[in-house]
Amino acid sequence: MTNIDIIVFAPLLAAIIAGLGNRMLGNTVAKAITTGALFLSCALSWPIFFGFLSGSTSTSVVPVLDLIHSGDLNVSWSLRVDALTAVMLVVVTSVSALVHLYSWGYMAEDDSQPRFFAYLSLFTFAMLMLVTADSLVQMFFGWEGVGLASYLLIGFWYHKPSANAAAIKAFVVNRVGDFGFSLGIFGTFLVFGTVSIPVILAAAPGMAGSTIGFLGGRFDTMTVLCLLLFVGAMGKSAQLGLHTWLPDAMEGPTPVSALIHAATMVTAGVFMVCRLSPMFQTSPFAMHTVTYVGAATALFAATVGTTQTDIKRVIAYSTCSQLGYMFFAAGVGAYGAAMFHLFTHAFFKALLFLGAGSVIHSMHHEQDMRHYGALRKHIPITFWTMTAGTLAITGVGIAGVFGFAGFYSKDAIIEATFASGTTSGGIAFAIAVFAALLTSFYSWRLLFLTFFGKARWAGSEHIQHAVHAHHDHPEHEHPDEEGAGSDPHAAHGPVVTGTAGYHPHESPWSMLVPLILLTLGAMFAGFLFHGPFIGAEEGAGFWKGSVYFDEHLMHAMHGVPLWVKYSATAVMLTGFAIAWWAYIKDTSIPGRFTATFRGLYAFLLNKWYFDELYDLLFVRPVFAIGRFFWKAGDVGTIDRFGPDGVAAMVVGSGAAARRLQSGYLYTYALVMLLGLSAVATWAMLR
Amino acid sequence: MSMIASLALTLPELILSTGALLLLLVAAWGGDGSSRLISWASVALLAIAGLSLGCANGVAFDGLYKADAFSNFAKALVYAAAAVSILIAPRFFEARGAMRAEYPILILLSSVGMGMMVSATDLLTLYVGLELQSLAAYVLASFMRRDSRSAEAGLKYFVLGALASGILLYGISLLYGFTGTTQFGGVATALGDGISHGELFGLVFVMAGLAFKISAVPFHMWTPDVYEGAPTPVTAFFASAPKVAAMALLVRIAVDAMGPATSSWQQIVIFAALASTILGGVAAIGQVNIKRLLAYSSINNVGFALFGLAAGTPDGVAATMSYMAVYIVMTLGSFLCVLQMRNAAGDAVEDIASLSGLSRTRPGLAAAFAIFMFSLAGIPPLFGFWPKFLVFDALVAIGLWPLAMIGIATSVIGAFYYLKIVKTMYFDEPAPAYAPSASRMENGLIALSAVAVSPLGYLAIPLLGALSMAAARALF
Amino acid sequence: MIGIQHYLVVSAILFAIGVFGIFLNRKNVIIILMAIELILLSVNLNFVAFSAYLHDLVGQVFAMFVLTVAAGEAAIGLAILVIYFRGRGTIAVDDINRMKG
Repeated sequence: MTNIDIIVFAPLLAAIIAGLGNRMLGNTVAKAITTGALFLSCALSWPIFFGFLSGSTSTSVVPVLDLIHSGDLNVSWSLRVDALTAVMLVVVTSVSALVHLYSWGYMAEDDSQPRFFAYLSLFTFAMLMLVTADSLVQMFFGWEGVGLASYLLIGFWYHKPSANAAAIKAFVVNRVGDFGFSLGIFGTFLVFGTVSIPVILAAAPGMAGSTIGFLGGRFDTMTVLCLLLFVGAMGKSAQLGLHTWLPDAMEGPTPVSALIHAATMVTAGVFMVCRLSPMFQTSPFAMHTVTYVGAATALFAATVGTTQTDIKRVIAYSTCSQLGYMFFAAGVGAYGAAMFHLFTHAFFKALLFLGAGSVIHSMHHEQDMRHYGALRKHIPITFWTMTAGTLAITGVGIAGVFGFAGFYSKDAIIEATFASGTTSGGIAFAIAVFAALLTSFYSWRLLFLTFFGKARWAGSEHIQHAVHAHHDHPEHEHPDEEGAGSDPHAAHGPVVTGTAGYHPHESPWSMLVPLILLTLGAMFAGFLFHGPFIGAEEGAGFWKGSVYFDEHLMHAMHGVPLWVKYSATAVMLTGFAIAWWAYIKDTSIPGRFTATFRGLYAFLLNKWYFDELYDLLFVRPVFAIGRFFWKAGDVGTIDRFGPDGVAAMVVGSGAAARRLQSGYLYTYALVMLLGLSAVATWAMLR
Repeated sequence: MSMIASLALTLPELILSTGALLLLLVAAWGGDGSSRLISWASVALLAIAGLSLGCANGVAFDGLYKADAFSNFAKALVYAAAAVSILIAPRFFEARGAMRAEYPILILLSSVGMGMMVSATDLLTLYVGLELQSLAAYVLASFMRRDSRSAEAGLKYFVLGALASGILLYGISLLYGFTGTTQFGGVATALGDGISHGELFGLVFVMAGLAFKISAVPFHMWTPDVYEGAPTPVTAFFASAPKVAAMALLVRIAVDAMGPATSSWQQIVIFAALASTILGGVAAIGQVNIKRLLAYSSINNVGFALFGLAAGTPDGVAATMSYMAVYIVMTLGSFLCVLQMRNAAGDAVEDIASLSGLSRTRPGLAAAFAIFMFSLAGIPPLFGFWPKFLVFDALVAIGLWPLAMIGIATSVIGAFYYLKIVKTMYFDEPAPAYAPSASRMENGLIALSAVAVSPLGYLAIPLLGALSMAAARALF
Repeated sequence: MIGIQHYLVVSAILFAIGVFGIFLNRKNVIIILMAIELILLSVNLNFVAFSAYLHDLVGQVFAMFVLTVAAGEAAIGLAILVIYFRGRGTIAVDDINRMKG
């Protein structure tokens, strides 16, 4: 397993070369180096994964260097490779490699491509650090590293004020989570005397039931630790309460959304909970909390997703919702199912994002689905790949025959919640089924609004710009074949439907190849790997203790009543039907619906008013307090008596000292003598 | 111990004094035309004397004189500083038609005196060495006989210096009378069984007389005037070699002779250190003459070095010696830069305002000057940070961390005017350019000292740390 | 009977007069030179008195050294005074303040 250091450090090396070389290297070299490094990492990662699948590979730890030796604190930097890491390795490197490739096409017109690719590779390195962490400190390092890379990439188009604001928001909200995470690490060190993950996990069961003083009360030790760590996971994985940054993060370039905000970074929280599953397993209260938070997020994000019109925001809320699924799967103890959903979700969500990117690319950076429509024939490959992604996320499949990726993983989660038999599991089951209905609805809505119906392009300012900019361009990659409203003069009128004379064209192959490859993943990832991940016997052999694996639960999961098994498929079909009816059959339904349920619609459209609530609760008071301290505290008090006052005093005493230096011998002699007698007197009297 | 063995231990002083006397004959015979030759010969003598340091170790003349790691360390610094002061002189004085062959000889004789000072283990040797150094220095200060500022500097230095020697001597006589001996060891024994008022007075007076030599507040008043008035090479000399020698002497007498009375002098030293750092920092603000500013800078830096002595531990003394070693490099480098400040006609300029925009007219010089300023201010990563750190570390080690905190706060005041010079050089509109540098040697010396105090200087830490620690151990 | 303390008192008075002579006098630098000699004399008196009191020769030897050095010091002081007078045409203490601040 010596390849692990190549896997981890190749992206770092590439990031350094591309980042420092920047304009000296030129776009192509920088892109080739970073993409090559990622494909290398990817190619080396899959054999490790297959090794674990076949059982021929066992857990290994590769030391890199000793970081800290201070008192009891010993932190060494070593790369841990076990089944859990192997799963994350293939997810991270594969998606990252494909996103790198995809960005060749997507970012082709950008001015600072080396910077972009360096950030992407840097992110990949940090993420790999996180998933190979052998100690909590190293995990925290990777954790902050991906946070930094995420900040840099969200704000990549730094000339856009909205991108800057989104980047700052992501950073600040993540600080809240990281604060909890770091408290959790401190607490863990306090309790266990080490930050080494294997040691902590081995000692965790023995700690169950002990209490610790925290915030003035006595609490169950493991509950406190797990909840603190979970706060960190909530921040990174955008769970309800700390989710507000994720939709705004869509200001970043779309490949970034696919890599960071769908497939990898946001799943770090889930990964962390699974990695520390023996710890969480010791605290039922923490497990229930994880379940409730996950379920609430799944429900919340799914409801909001039904009303959004920005194609990327719909997928972002979908991500948020799916992360909720993973969390409550972990919360009921089905860590294998959580990881399985993480695995499949990475493929189909990256696919959906990249597909959305392809649509946006072809629609000249228009992101509003209300200005899409009828794109099916113009960008057929994108259409078919996104359809595959939608089939995967909604969980289409026939039990025992074949299903798309989500069919296996999501159904496993739904069954696990039912099989857990706890109250929280029951509630999670109900929510999971309802959220699956909503998932199906908004996913098909997205597909129908984008690819079916009439072209509504003329309403888009982006398209108008494009048409005017390219008015004299003779080149048309697609012959003029579209039907509805293809009046070139419509562009000048206030017509909402119509093509405005715009000709969307399919994205370049560098973008389509990743789409096609991810489509394969979205189609077969579930079918091929469901045995090792969630099979009752096979699973224990695959995970080999790298996560807490409850065989009993897995057995129970496969033995749930038939109506439970088919509930997911049923709601999926229902959601599809509603979406078809509302967006294909009778397009007036959504309007009438929103008019009737105006309050509910506004509530959902405004994302449950979370941003407004936080603005009122935190942002405004903090600004007010800040302004007060600035005006009254800093300027009025500290500056006046501090820097400004001291500076004036120093300058004043300097002038006094210079006056004393009169130039006359007798003054100098007098000062000497006064000094002498003062010192002598002091020495005598003491 | 036989006379021969004693003489062998004083070999560096013998080399320098006989060499100086011989060169005096050459000067008398060859006139001022031989001054270049005599300069180089003097530098060679200093080098030889420096080389002869390694082998000397022991007590000579029945306890009047001692050669040990401490004296060798101090002498090495003194000789190096003296050599640089000789090397930079000819061009400066020749431009004014004031080069005399006596200049290097006076520096040599002064170096003999400084050698005696740092090796003294008896109040008598202390006094003779100190006077030998001082008398030569008075002459050097007024070396430009036709320049009334130089004469005024000499006069002020002489009068105040004589007063300081008077105070010192009075203290010595009291110490002698109340302890019955002039030997450091004997004084220490006498102080060991309780300290009488007479002894305390003697101690205070001796400390005061030595404080004058290192220009610690409140005995610093001469420093700005003398530094400004004296010819620049002489100022460079004053700011470096005698400071090291007097500081070493103060350290030795404080530890060797007054060690048992540490509690009596410790607070005096602390007061002098604090007052020096604060006044050196405060009074430098608003100065317009660069030499005057560097005078205040030297007061400020001596204060920091005294903090090490205030700790009174081997670590503290080692820190003080390291501080002096780094300090002479920084201060000599600064004065070398000042020497480059000549207007188009070739006359020396001392206005800080004339440095404006130096970064555009003489980028190399500006960079070197900036390095010295940052280093004097003790801003990491420059090497000037290291001895400051050692000094405060020594204070913290004996629990005087409030003092260390105050000291660090005062170093911020000092940073103000150093940075102001840097700002003048880099951000102000260019003043008329200086005459181009004509001396490759001066440029080389500037480059050498700039490299030494740059972050590269940290490479010297193992060597410098070991030497200063060995020097400090020789006292305890 | 004249004891050691009498010598010490006289010497202290001489020392004080010398010191005061330096910073009270505002007329002539020559007076300062004389005041310095007075200080050195007081020191010598101390040394000799202590030497006799302690029956120890070192004090007298020290006094000889002080005398010698004082001679050299006076010579150098006068020489500096001479070149100062050449340049400025005055030796009034109040005039010696070209450099200050």
